[in-house]
Amino acid sequence: METTRIVIAGVGGQGTLLATRLIAETAIKLRLHVRIGETYGMAQRGGPVMGHIQIGEAYSPQIRPGEADALLGFELAEATRRGVTYLRRGGLAIVNSKKIPPVEVIIGMRKYPSEKDLLKLLNQISNKIAVFDATGLAEKAGDPIATNIVMLGALVASNVLPFGENEIIAVMKDSIPDRFLDLNTRALKFGADAFKKLRPIT
Amino acid sequence: MIDPVTSDSPGVTVLLMGNEAIVRGALEAGIKIAASYPGTPASEIGNTLAEIAKEMGIHFEWSTNEKVAFEVAYGASMCNQRGLVSMKHVGLNVALDIMEMAALRGVKGGLVFVSADDPSQHSSGQEQDQRWLAKQNCVPALEPSDPQDAKDFTVYAYELSEKYKLPVMLRMVTRVSHMRSNVKLGKLQKLNREAKFDFDQFSYVVAGFNKLFYGREKEANEKIAKIKEEFDTSPLNTLTMTGREKVGVIATGQTYNYVMDTLIKLGAKEKVAVLKLGTSNPLPEGLISKLLKGVDKVLITEEPDPFVELHVKALAKDANPGVKLYGRINGKLPGEGELMPVIVDEVIAEMLGEKLPPTQRGELENEAKDMIFGRMLTVCAGCPHRPSIYALKRAVKAVKGDIHKVVINGDIGCYGLAWAPPMSYEDTYFCMGASLGVSQGMSQVGVDSIAWIGDGTFFHAAIPALMNAVQTKTNIKIVVADNSITAMTGFQPNPQSGKTAMGEPTKSISIEAIAKAVGVDHVEITDPYDIKATEAAFKRMLQTDGVVMVVSRRICATEAIRQMRPNRPVQYEVDESKCVGCKLCLSTFGCPGLNFNEEKKKASIDPTICMGCGVCAQVCNLGCIHRRDS
Repeated sequence: METTRIVIAGVGGQGTLLATRLIAETAIKLRLHVRIGETYGMAQRGGPVMGHIQIGEAYSPQIRPGEADALLGFELAEATRRGVTYLRRGGLAIVNSKKIPPVEVIIGMRKYPSEKDLLKLLNQISNKIAVFDATGLAEKAGDPIATNIVMLGALVASNVLPFGENEIIAVMKDSIPDRFLDLNTRALKFGADAFKKLRPIT
Repeated sequence: MIDPVTSDSPGVTVLLMGNEAIVRGALEAGIKIAASYPGTPASEIGNTLAEIAKEMGIHFEWSTNEKVAFEVAYGASMCNQRGLVSMKHVGLNVALDIMEMAALRGVKGGLVFVSADDPSQHSSGQEQDQRWLAKQNCVPALEPSDPQDAKDFTVYAYELSEKYKLPVMLRMVTRVSHMRSNVKLGKLQKLNREAKFDFDQFSYVVAGFNKLFYGREKEANEKIAKIKEEFDTSPLNTLTMTGREKVGVIATGQTYNYVMDTLIKLGAKEKVAVLKLGTSNPLPEGLISKLLKGVDKVLITEEPDPFVELHVKALAKDANPGVKLYGRINGKLPGEGELMPVIVDEVIAEMLGEKLPPTQRGELENEAKDMIFGRMLTVCAGCPHRPSIYALKRAVKAVKGDIHKVVINGDIGCYGLAWAPPMSYEDTYFCMGASLGVSQGMSQVGVDSIAWIGDGTFFHAAIPALMNAVQTKTNIKIVVADNSITAMTGFQPNPQSGKTAMGEPTKSISIEAIAKAVGVDHVEITDPYDIKATEAAFKRMLQTDGVVMVVSRRICATEAIRQMRPNRPVQYEVDESKCVGCKLCLSTFGCPGLNFNEEKKKASIDPTICMGCGVCAQVCNLGCIHRRDS
């Protein structure tokens, strides 16, 4: 089996960790080998976070620059920052259009770059980019906190992972409390539908 | 789903983080007690223990500091119980006094301590390599490469500890502590040993002062010499060598992963002999010599110091003086910091005489760097430290005229982010509790300063310094930024929280009562959510002589919201009809919940971020911000 490599980028508090863990738990259940590296350093709420997931043969918890098959970007600028470094040429970028301005922007030291300019950079690596308002879909599903599951839904629909929606849902049932399960399965479906509608050139 | 840490299902493969795997290993070794002080990247060891200790029938505590934690476990060890101590690398500096004594006097029940080092300083003020302390104190040091190793090495560490009566260091690095991967579980174990102090081994009265006090260094050296032989045949060290290779690698701990990925990428598994090194002190000299004799070139990979490399250089002199050594000393690897997969790719390719195709995206990455902000760290929305810093800066300006008339000596914790814009109000930042000590030196030579310290750090290391100020009659000003929890490392309780690590209610220890008891001249409490009152308290502090303390107290906003779940606080909003777009709230207060709408030229508050503290409403001098329900 080929190794699948995914980089998840976002900011603290966006629930990137849960998305990562659901993927990993599913892989383990299917008796696959998985390696996850997380960089959260001093990330309080709002600090940058990044997760590297590898399914298949992999030793290092860090994916080499330019070798990620897919980028799951929970925040626009963070998606671009990490995509430019880690995404392989022609790899798939799934990007939430949500902007979370950092303190530099809030106090007027820097401007938040436009979506167009950011995506132009990412486009130099790959033209397979799916951008959509995942946070909006999560709100529609019932709570913006479910942005992570919307993103996961899109990733599952892209067929980058060596498993599909049913396997992920089985693990969600095992690890997410019952009272949040409806919200999260809805969010997963919204993400999958959004991706299928966009279907970037593959 | 089964709990992967506590499940008694040997042979089952689960997903574990490196730090969780250590806890699992300790349970498989039958520990009775565990103690820790929180600090990244070690914190999840304690967090996991706090969750499972009661169920597993063991004692776990967040001790006041690392030295106490080590002593607690050592006390139990002298009574034949197995114990685990964990801390971040700099925590071992605090615990060093007792670690050294435990190594010399020996242990009874297995005693394993984790030093979670932080190469490249992901969340630390420095990247000190604690393997030197293992060497210095004749303590065996084991270096796992992944979560499976972390669990297995922990189980073995207890056997080793009891066999040689030595504490054993489990030396982690951030990448292993925070790595999640497959771990095959072993069997849980309960030892049910009688807790009994070993008078023959540890009592001066029974064993004799001379015997316990003198000649212990010799004994420690002899133990290490024996362990060195054991490590030559230990499964923790594996040499993969056919004898046909010209190139060899000594891959220490987690750097083994980089080496293996490189060999896969280069298709060079057959061409390179690899020693996977799991024991960095003492080194398996026989195995290393065998590798040195069998190849022409040897690369040593390790993080962050050339600790193994230095010793290998000495061994090479006898084993094979002609062998060419590659590593951090000869400059083929960087002299400090973490290694990266690409760095290892390059040096091994060079050793094999191969050239890698360039994969650099430097230009594009630079373009991205120019376009995208760095995303500076800041305290959370609603954080009580933000108004404390804001009020302190205003008070100093008002009383002294110039903020540079006073040095702000910061300390370790969330409030250490006082240096971050827009307040940018903190000058120095060293190690736990240092703010009180250095402030006294400054005061003695006539320079005004303020010690800016948090509640957890105050309990951890500041009380002796506080007594010093009183005894020496040194005028110092102290602000305790008290958010009533150890927030930065994940909301662990501290001595004033009124609960133990295992969730039991306990006495809450009062900072102001301690201050009064040791003779602090003036103590007052203020609520930082009331900016005016807090600024006034800081002004009084600046105008009072003696040892003066203001406790700026308000629970951590993130913790407050956790406690009120599922309820949410009432948020604030901007009245757009009143806002003139002056940006005062953004540029002077800078809460992450504030935004500026460029089209409307008005401030706004992001309802997904606002914590409802209401302080921005006090910062706005036009009264544009109000509670949503008012």
